[in-house]
Amino acid sequence: MQTETSVNSHASRIYDSSLAVNKDVLDFDVLNGFERVKSDDGSDILIELIDLYLQSTATQVLTMQTASTVNGWNVVKRAAHTVKGTSSTLGLHRIAKTCQEIEEASSISTDQIGALIRQLELHFREAESALTAERNRRAGNCVVSS
Amino acid sequence: MRFNELSSNRVLIADDDPVIRHLVATVVKQEGCDVVLANDGREAYRVLQTDSKFLAAILDICMPFLEGLDLVQYMRSEKRLRRIPVMIITAEENIKLVSKSFAAGATVFLPKPFVPEQLENATRMLLHNQRMGRSAG
Repeated sequence: MQTETSVNSHASRIYDSSLAVNKDVLDFDVLNGFERVKSDDGSDILIELIDLYLQSTATQVLTMQTASTVNGWNVVKRAAHTVKGTSSTLGLHRIAKTCQEIEEASSISTDQIGALIRQLELHFREAESALTAERNRRAGNCVVSS
Repeated sequence: MRFNELSSNRVLIADDDPVIRHLVATVVKQEGCDVVLANDGREAYRVLQTDSKFLAAILDICMPFLEGLDLVQYMRSEKRLRRIPVMIITAEENIKLVSKSFAAGATVFLPKPFVPEQLENATRMLLHNQRMGRSAG
């Protein structure tokens, strides 16, 4: 049986490992700032925001991929704009920057968009694993071994 | 009377982004208000066509079907909606949008990215005048 101390110390090691995540991928200072917002049912707002972000961004990236194959640049631009706003607010700077580039390219040089969307997909996968780890840590789903 | 009391504590939130919508709704509820959510500009427009009992409205600019600024203009053109203060949220970086928003009739302008304190302060600012007016009345 584990003591509370050993669980806490393990949790803090897990938390420390999150510091190894590049700040451009996920800025924990920005993300954790939202802890002060309290849900009326007492649930962890960050878990809810992470779940919503992962789900909606995956959909938006897919929308961009599909729209770009049929030259639907306005659709690409709108999706990139939406992801940019959420990502910058939650501290996912790299995704926000790439979305900004996609948004600009949709009005100027559309030949770059395919490559930029592929780049966005890679950045999203990086962020997804960091966010999922943080989400699981918060939900207490980490496997703790003594 | 009871219905009027409750209904005047409602805030309309329109944003096509579920993350921002949820975040804004949580902050508004934290301030003791009820929320009515719209997933895009058209949905918000439909709500406003039949319902004017809102303490305030919080609208994203860039939404499918109908943009936030078009909604503000609609609200300012309708006598029954004119008194509702509006906060505009946007990820647009065009500085002219600030003056365009105020010219259209917005009360508060909040650019993305924002930190929680900015969202909370902007929400309080939006609700403050209405609540003061109500308690004075």
